[in-house]
Amino acid sequence: MKMTIHEVAQCLNLHVSTIERWIRQGRIPIQKTSNGYIFRESTLKKWAAMYRLPFLIPEKVKSRGYEEELENLLSAMKRGGVLYDIKGDDVETALKSAVGNMPVLSKTSKKELYQLLLERERLTSTGIGKGVAIPHPRDPLSDALKSPVISTCFLEKPIDFGAVDDRPVFVMFILLSQSIKMHLHLLSRFSFCVRDNSFVEFLKASPDEASFFAKIADFEKQLDRAET
Amino acid sequence: MRIFQSWRYPSNWTIFRLDDRLLLILVAIIVGICSGVASVILNRALMAMFNWFHHLRHYWWVFVLPAIGAALSSLFLEKIVKEGAGHGVPEVIYSVSRYGGLLRFRSSFSRIISSALTIGSGGSAGPEAPVVISGAAIGSNIAKYFSLNDRQRVTLVGCGAAGAISSIFNAPIAGMVFAIEVIIGEWKSVNIVPIAIASVAGCEISRILQGNQIPFSHRLFHIHHMDILACVGLAVVTAAASILLTRLLRSMDKTAKKLPAPLWIRAAIGGCAVGLIGLFLPEVLGKGYHVVQTTIEGAFSKGLVIVGLATIAKIVATALTLGWGGSGGIFAPCLVIGCLAGLTYHHGLALLWPSVTWVNQGCFALLGMAGLISGMLQAPLTGIFLIVEITGGYEVILPLIIVSAITTSVCHYIEPAAYYMKELVDYGHLLRPGTDARVLSDLNVSEIIEKDCIAVTQNMLLRDFVNIIKKSHRNYFPVEDEETGHFLGIIHLDDIRQYLFNPVMYDTVFLGQIMNTRVEVVDPDDDLADVIRKMDANRLFSMPVVVNNRFIGLISKGNLLDQYRKELMVQTSQSI
Repeated sequence: MKMTIHEVAQCLNLHVSTIERWIRQGRIPIQKTSNGYIFRESTLKKWAAMYRLPFLIPEKVKSRGYEEELENLLSAMKRGGVLYDIKGDDVETALKSAVGNMPVLSKTSKKELYQLLLERERLTSTGIGKGVAIPHPRDPLSDALKSPVISTCFLEKPIDFGAVDDRPVFVMFILLSQSIKMHLHLLSRFSFCVRDNSFVEFLKASPDEASFFAKIADFEKQLDRAET
Repeated sequence: MRIFQSWRYPSNWTIFRLDDRLLLILVAIIVGICSGVASVILNRALMAMFNWFHHLRHYWWVFVLPAIGAALSSLFLEKIVKEGAGHGVPEVIYSVSRYGGLLRFRSSFSRIISSALTIGSGGSAGPEAPVVISGAAIGSNIAKYFSLNDRQRVTLVGCGAAGAISSIFNAPIAGMVFAIEVIIGEWKSVNIVPIAIASVAGCEISRILQGNQIPFSHRLFHIHHMDILACVGLAVVTAAASILLTRLLRSMDKTAKKLPAPLWIRAAIGGCAVGLIGLFLPEVLGKGYHVVQTTIEGAFSKGLVIVGLATIAKIVATALTLGWGGSGGIFAPCLVIGCLAGLTYHHGLALLWPSVTWVNQGCFALLGMAGLISGMLQAPLTGIFLIVEITGGYEVILPLIIVSAITTSVCHYIEPAAYYMKELVDYGHLLRPGTDARVLSDLNVSEIIEKDCIAVTQNMLLRDFVNIIKKSHRNYFPVEDEETGHFLGIIHLDDIRQYLFNPVMYDTVFLGQIMNTRVEVVDPDDDLADVIRKMDANRLFSMPVVVNNRFIGLISKGNLLDQYRKELMVQTSQSI
C-alpha cells in the first residue's frame, strides 16, 4: 500500500520535516520514480522493525477505544427512570426496594448490584448532604453496561442514611456507569446541580417526570455554557 | 527530445533503479576512475614543472621561485576560484559530517592547479591532499548528477578520496583505509564495498597510464630482535618530530595572520624563506620523493649533523609553505621528514653502539615514515598500510606496527586532536557518525516543537484561566498581548499551584500579574546543542520557541528524548 509523507510521519509519531530530512539523508527506504518517490507500507514496516522504531497505523490506535464518548446526565436519567414512593425504614430496605423497581437490569445483576451498593455504603455513606444520596457501586458491574444509568428514587419517607450533614435522606440517585471515567464525569455534573439550593427545594416537592427532566436539561445547558 | 531528457536525469535510468547498492557500486567505479585521472594529471604537471625549472637551479635568484609559485597559487585560490588556502581536508571532513558531503564543483580542479604552482616551483608540500579534495569533490558532484541521497553522497566522497590516494601512491589498501579512517570515520559494509571498488578503479587507471611501479622499492631487510627493540626509541623520535611539525604549522599560521598584508604577499614571503633554505639544503624543496628513494636504497651518504639539520629544515620549510598560505598537502612532507628522522635515528644509534650491527638505514627511514604519517593523521592503520604498499616491504610489518602504534598513542597524549581534525575540534565541528554531537546537529528545533499549547492573554482573570487548565494537556501556557499578539511571558502551573485552590483569588488576580516574563526563549534556527546547554544551565525542562515576538510552540526535554532516541537508532543500528 502506498502512503503519503504525512501518513508516514503520523505512523512513526515524528514531525514531517524529520521524515523529509531522512529522505534527503537516505535513512528511510523509498522507491524513486520518474517524478518523485513512493512510500510502501510493507517496506516501511520491515524497516521500522529492523531499527526497532514504533510504527503504528493511526486508525488502529483510535479503534482501541481510548477516547470514549462521554454521555450527559439527561439521557442517563431517562434510561434509569424516575421512581416514586420507594418504601423502606433504613438504608438496606430502601436500597432493596429501589433496586427491585429499577428498569433495564436483569434479575441476577439486580442481586449483584444490591450487594455492591451495600458494600459501598459500609465504606462511607453516599449521603452527600441536603437530604440527597447517590448510591453507586465502587467498581462497574460485572455484566458491563453499554451506557450509564441513573435512577431517581423519591422515598416514601425520609430515612437516616448516615449522611455527612446527618440530615435524613429523601431522594436517592442510583448511579451506574460502565467505566470509572464516565462515573467521574456524571458525578461532577450532578454535584453541580445539587450545589444549587433551589434545586434541592424543587426535589423535596417530588416533581413529576416531565418537569424534573426539564430542570435537568436546564442545568445541562448552564454546564455546557461554562465549559466553552 | 526524450533521449535528451533522459540524459539530463540519469537517476531515472531503469538500470539504476534496480538496486541501491548496485547503483552505488557502478557510480563508485566512475568516481574512482575520475579521481585516478585527476591524480595522474597532477603528477604529470609536477613532473613537467620540475623539468622546466630544473636548469634554473644554479642561478642565485632561484630562491624567489617558490615565492612566485606560492603567490600565484594564493592569488588563484583567492581571486579566481574564491577558496580558502591550506590543504582543505578539514573542509571535506566537515562537509561529510554536516552537509552530507556537498562540495563545490570548482573544488575538483582548483586545488590541483594551485598545488601544482606551489609544489612545482619548489614549495615544500605534498600533492596528495589536493588530489584527495579533487577526488572528494568529483565524487560529490557525480552523486549530485545522479541525484543520490546524503548517505550515498558521503560514500562517494569517500570513494573519490580513496581513488585519489590509491592512484597517486599506487596503494589501493591505503586509499581505502584512509577514506574510511580519516574522511568518513564509520566502518560499515555499505561504505566499505563501494570505497574498495573505487580504490581498485583509481589504482588501475594509474597503472594503465603510468605503469605499475612501487614508488619506493628497496632490497630485502634482515630485521633482528635488537632492531625491534630500537623501534621504541624511533617511535619517540617520530612522535617528537610530528608534534614539532604540528605546533610549528599552527604557530606559523598565527604569525602569518598577524601580518597586515594581502594573502598572496604572505604566501610569497613564506615561499621566499623556503627558497632561501633550499639554497643550502636543496633536499627540502618540492615534494622531495627523490630524497626518500635514495634513503631507502641506502644511498643517502651524508653524516649525522647534516641529516639532523635537514630534518629540522624540512619541518620548518613545510611550516613556512603551508602556514604562510601556500597550497598543498601534508602527506609528502611527512614521508620526507619521517624518512630523514629515521635516518638521523639510525646514525645516532650507530654512533652510540658502534659494535652492534643494525639493519640497513633504509629500514629505519621506512619506519620513520610510518611513524610520522600515523602521528600526524593519528590514523595508525593508514600509516601501516601506506608504508607497506609504497615500499612493497611486507617483512617490516612487525616493527612497522610497533612504531605506528606507539607514535599514535604518544601524539594523541600530547596533541589530543590530529592535525586534520584540530581546527574542527576547536570550533566543535568534528561530528563523527553515531556521536551525541552528530545526532544533535542533525535534529533541529522545528522537528521537536510541540504546538498544542493554549495561549492566554495578560488581562484574563484567574477564574477563566482555571477553566482553560481543565481542557489543557500541558503545564505551560504562553501569555500573548491581546492586540499585537506579541509573546509576553509564560505561566508554568508549578509557579501558581498554591493560588489555584484559593477561590478568593479567582476574581482578583490577572494573568499579567502571575506570568513569568524573564524567560529564556529559543529561535527555530538555534543550534540544538546550544538550546540544551541553556536548558541545563538554567535547570529548565521546557522552553518557548519565539519568532518575531510571536509564540510558535514549546520544546521540552521529554519530546527531545523521544526524537533523540529515534534518531540515534536510525543512525547507529546496522544499516539497510
